Amino acid sequence: MSDLTPLRDLLDHHVVGHDEVKTALLLALITREHIYVEGPPGTAKTRLAEVAARGSDLDFFFYQLHRDTRLAELVGDIVLERRKVRTDGAAPGTAGEAERIHQRIEPGGLLTAEIAVLDDISRAPGEALNVLLRILNERRFGAEPIPLMAAIATGNPMDDEYYNEPLDPANLDRFALQLRVSGLIQSGVDEAKTLIDRFASGSVVEQPDPEPVTDRVTLDALHKRMYAVEVGAAVRAALLDVLRTLVLEFECNETNSLLTDRTFLVKAIKILRGAALLAGRDAVDLQDLAALSWMTTFRVPPEAHEALPRIIGRVNRQVHAV
Amino acid sequence: MTQPAPDRRTTELAAAFVDLRTALGRVLIGQDDAATGLTLALLAEQHAYLEGPPGCGKSELAAALAALSGARTHTLVFHRDIRESDLLGDVLLSRHRHRGHERLRRELIPGPLLQAEVALLEDLPRSPGEALGPLLRILAERHALGQPLPLESAVATGPLEQVEAPIDPLEPGQLDRFAVQLRMTGLLTGELFDEAAVLLEREAAREPSQAASRPVADSAHARAVAGAAPRSAVMSTGTRNAAQRAAASLRVETRTIDAYHRLLDRLRQRSADESASGDRLMSDRSFSSAALRLVRAHAFLRGAPAAAPRDLHAIRYMVAHRLPDEVQEDFDHILEELLGDPPNVTMTETGAQMPGAQSQGDDSDGAAAASPASDSWIDDQADLPAPPTLFGKPPPPAQVDPLLRALVGRIERGRIDPDTDPGGQPRGYRPLRDLDEVIDADVIEALLFTEGRLPGAPRTFERKRRSAGGAVAVLRDISASMAGRLTVWSSQVVLGILRVAARRRMRVGYVEFHHRALPHEVGGRLLHRSYSRLAEQAGQAKAVGQTNYEAPLRTALEGLRGGSGRNRHIVLLTDGLPIIGDTTVRRERQLARRLGVALHTVFLGNGDCPPVLDDISLETAGLRFYGRPTAGGGLRLEER
Repeated sequence: MSDLTPLRDLLDHHVVGHDEVKTALLLALITREHIYVEGPPGTAKTRLAEVAARGSDLDFFFYQLHRDTRLAELVGDIVLERRKVRTDGAAPGTAGEAERIHQRIEPGGLLTAEIAVLDDISRAPGEALNVLLRILNERRFGAEPIPLMAAIATGNPMDDEYYNEPLDPANLDRFALQLRVSGLIQSGVDEAKTLIDRFASGSVVEQPDPEPVTDRVTLDALHKRMYAVEVGAAVRAALLDVLRTLVLEFECNETNSLLTDRTFLVKAIKILRGAALLAGRDAVDLQDLAALSWMTTFRVPPEAHEALPRIIGRVNRQVHAV
Repeated sequence: MTQPAPDRRTTELAAAFVDLRTALGRVLIGQDDAATGLTLALLAEQHAYLEGPPGCGKSELAAALAALSGARTHTLVFHRDIRESDLLGDVLLSRHRHRGHERLRRELIPGPLLQAEVALLEDLPRSPGEALGPLLRILAERHALGQPLPLESAVATGPLEQVEAPIDPLEPGQLDRFAVQLRMTGLLTGELFDEAAVLLEREAAREPSQAASRPVADSAHARAVAGAAPRSAVMSTGTRNAAQRAAASLRVETRTIDAYHRLLDRLRQRSADESASGDRLMSDRSFSSAALRLVRAHAFLRGAPAAAPRDLHAIRYMVAHRLPDEVQEDFDHILEELLGDPPNVTMTETGAQMPGAQSQGDDSDGAAAASPASDSWIDDQADLPAPPTLFGKPPPPAQVDPLLRALVGRIERGRIDPDTDPGGQPRGYRPLRDLDEVIDADVIEALLFTEGRLPGAPRTFERKRRSAGGAVAVLRDISASMAGRLTVWSSQVVLGILRVAARRRMRVGYVEFHHRALPHEVGGRLLHRSYSRLAEQAGQAKAVGQTNYEAPLRTALEGLRGGSGRNRHIVLLTDGLPIIGDTTVRRERQLARRLGVALHTVFLGNGDCPPVLDDISLETAGLRFYGRPTAGGGLRLEER
């Protein structure tokens, strides 16, 4: 196991169940990719995001998005700079003073944070989100690079009853990792019992804010080590086979999917490396391909996403046969 | 005829741009076409619009053009809340005492965008029309605030025109400001798996960025960072400008002009034949001066002393939004055919008189195989894959525009203006009513207001948003008589309606029917916004069974019943008389009237339109259309 064990323990301490989301959150921190977690209300989405963020001792920005979210609320204050300028008085009667007024943004919020939790992004209108997500994607604002490592976003399912506009699929693409959660009680898993027992015992009346258990130095070192993880030709060939299957057999294309080069040819390599590192290996193994299903959730049609483990299994068998 | 050999200086200038093209081609894997288009745009000093799916490297390529060309550049990311000052510059506010009273004057100081030689406009369509208008005019005129701009090329990027995107596509008139229009495809979705493998290999060899503690941009340009050398300019501004001047003054051969006239004739003709894709534009502005500048640039890049007919290949970089998709895909073919069949000019030139360009044929048949690697890209254009169309397959020739236009008119008529909404787009100004709104107020006026020097309230944005209300259900007859061409045509009509609905964020329902109604529900609902899923289904319909109007109308009306709002429509597509069920659909007509749903009917085929369709539409204030096959095998929709 990697150096992130304390953070994983912290997540386990604060939230019952949701194993995949926890692993994906750690993966986001190692790979410095953004993550989107979607689920119905009351499924510990925000809590998970907050614990992961606060447990890492990073500059933290929490923002609850809403219908009227404006750029300034996310990136800092709009500042007016006024400078006296001399006028030459060329035109008749123009002897006087003049002022040059320059508008700029005093960086704050997202622009100065190392980790950001963006709650309920599906509530903000698409137009407002676009700027935000663009900043996330480019990790710069104007010409300035920003220190952001990862953004953790949460959202409600895109059904009519939740009263939000569906997210622009292109916006969702900014989140390399995408997961769907469902409530433990609703889905009737074993952990539901643990959850109820925990609250029944009265030991967790009020959960304090988690203390940091890891820090920037550890995360930087892990990120660096990630690039040392080897991605061999066999893994690359297998990855390409999976992608080829999605395109040719499941007919994923530009209208029904977001099978973008940026995500699946550039970021996928990082995610695979991160997954290997998290499992304590220094080379990507074929089994790490399973992490791809955290990338396809909202990018390919549901039937293709559901078939992914099967596709990966088939590709793995073919590789082993060779 | 002999051409004067280009002098050495000209050859050097051309070589600088060939280097630029080569370097640009290395930035992204498998996007040579876009690299060539951008090079031509800069050489011809034309603006370019680059569209493509997310993550295919549009922004990276545009930024690389600026960096490699050594041009002074400024990048502007467009968004909903972009302000005049971001686009144009700072405000100079001067106060003059004049006979005892103070006069305030407000002027603009050109900002970085107006001082750029290559301006990068990212995500251009994300900005509301109000902000875009003045900027696009300035770009076109290259003149602002009384001064000429140093601008050579503006490169804008935008998303692929997609049905589900919540933004309005740019209007053809706005797009026309960009002479060069390029459409990029992703490697995966374009099925370029070999190129994808190369990219994966590059990524696997990628080192952590220089400063480990500072995250780097991780967009597609990681590809560039991994493989290529750091991007420093391949030419000086002096060279760049000299090349631009030289290219602009290149002679255009008479036979080229003849060929150009013939090319335009053919493009016009083909576009008229296949106007299914609607709003396309061949403007004088673009097809006179801009086109010829690009043709010259193409010749200049080849090292040719004058623009030959083959340089008309440059026109293909202009057509993404100007010609119907079918004609675009065929462009290379149309041009080749035309060049291979010159009316009365004999081709006597050879490459021998071009010392600078190595030995390379100057004839239209082009000795592609023998051309040197450095500029082979200019000869093998004909082999490049055709750009994708909106729904994967090129649409068959059904002329559905009249129906869609009328339908859009009806949809719009049923609606009030966009609703005022604090989260909407700025669509005008109004006085400030509430101090909370000051964040949205005109900054300068707000400033004067707080200093007590503005007589009234500062103006603030009036934000509006198109209400996402409204619904349209399409009922499509798939009975046996609809087999063959009628199936293809009605698919076309359904796709067109879906597109209209998607643009207006209306909910859609789709019911196929024969003797029974077969609703395509998503999540148990008839009405939803899964446009592309329906589009896929509409393409797969098979014709079986007999016609029943009652069942589908009942299904659709039940689906619409729950909703509210006035803007609700049903479009019934059929080719025949109902045989099964209540053929007069009396109860359904009543229900539709009560719910205020407009029933539009479209009758396809050569037979007589059943009178019941007229009754249905007349009673519910719906449109009545007739789709008749044309001699050419197409379909023309007209109002009944």
